[in-house]
Amino acid sequence: MNAPDLLARCASYLPQLLDGALTTLRLSAAAVFCGFFAGIFIYTMSASESRLLAGAARVYVSVFRGTPVLAQLLVMYYLPSALGLAVPGIVAAAIGLSMNTAAYQSQILGAGFRSIARGQIEAAVTFNLKRRQVLWHIEVPQVVRVTLPALVSEMIDIVKASAVVSVISVTDLMRVGQQLSSSTYRPLEVYTCAALFYLAITTLLSFAAHCYERRAASRA
Amino acid sequence: MDNLLALVPRFAGAMLVTLEVSLIAAVLGVAGGFALNALRLRYARVLAAPYGLFVWLIRGMPYLSQLMIVYFGLPVFGITMTAVQATVVSLAIYASAYFAEIFRAAWASVPRGQLEAAQAFGVSRWAAFRAIELPQALAFAVPLLANQIILVIKESAVASIITVPELTMTASDIVASTYTYIGPYALLIVSYWLLTQAVSLLAQRATAMIPFLHTAANEAANKAT
Repeated sequence: MNAPDLLARCASYLPQLLDGALTTLRLSAAAVFCGFFAGIFIYTMSASESRLLAGAARVYVSVFRGTPVLAQLLVMYYLPSALGLAVPGIVAAAIGLSMNTAAYQSQILGAGFRSIARGQIEAAVTFNLKRRQVLWHIEVPQVVRVTLPALVSEMIDIVKASAVVSVISVTDLMRVGQQLSSSTYRPLEVYTCAALFYLAITTLLSFAAHCYERRAASRA
Repeated sequence: MDNLLALVPRFAGAMLVTLEVSLIAAVLGVAGGFALNALRLRYARVLAAPYGLFVWLIRGMPYLSQLMIVYFGLPVFGITMTAVQATVVSLAIYASAYFAEIFRAAWASVPRGQLEAAQAFGVSRWAAFRAIELPQALAFAVPLLANQIILVIKESAVASIITVPELTMTASDIVASTYTYIGPYALLIVSYWLLTQAVSLLAQRATAMIPFLHTAANEAANKAT
């Protein structure tokens, strides 16, 4: 096992791993994007005056935060098909991860919503803005600005959590690693290469968040 | 309903496996994280870089990929482990990086001036550690540690992929052999939820018993759990 051979072999894994990494990235981005809107919805539910809605939001968050992503994905994948509504793995994965991150994002965004001065909303109401306008034009832009670093770290968590979608037959980065490992009989180097791909993605994301925070700090 | 009740004993057994694997890993991880942070504090100049590298590597990669490297990759070097051993070892290493970062934040939360004052009064380094740093740092850390233990329990579900007979594996087995879906999956979700709620309740009790707890950081952490 000499170094040039090892490098050549790792290079030969690259195209397939890159393919898998793109699936992982697309899936995670879609989940975080959908989860963002679902998270806002869950937050508004939990902040509503109706005790029923607030209770439902609490149960939702507690169940999704209190159980493993893998268990949630198995339910999302196998339960609909048992009820006669077969969904492809990638769809089940996207829905499952979105619902999972929605629970976490509702908590992150909630902190952002609570940081907005009440006076702003009172002023908006005085100017006859509708509740929906206040939400999307006044609250959400500020909430995103305040919580962006936390949202990026949620994105990192979702990229890592998405590795288990290989179990419901999605050809993501991890799954490609498993396929390469069983075709090359070189599990150590294949899994290490796959892990380094994940490391590259998460490092780039956290670097971007770091840059954003520094820029925000220098502007303030 | 009868079918569901008949499954309960199997789930209870599987829950014990999940609990055993994740608690052993968590205890080893807490000890490892504490040691890592202590070493980093003691030998800051030499260890800052390797410590940073370790935390970056472990926290930047999914636990599943680490488990695969340990279980399928290490046999290349002649290190062969059973599925349970590989899970406990990899989960403990994985968790130790997170626990080390919690202890690091906990130690950073103790104002330096207190140690300088202790030194000025001739208090020994060890006494200052035991009586000044440790209680405050632990008070800061306990809610975060509990949160991390919950994450370890949830992460242990991944071990089902390498056939550790824990909760997720058991549910999948029952589904595959009986072709019933709703019952086993409902029990699976409920079992995990009960486990994590139990840990979070215990942690709240433990937190209430420790003094120094009414700092802003702890209140924030309590809200997060």
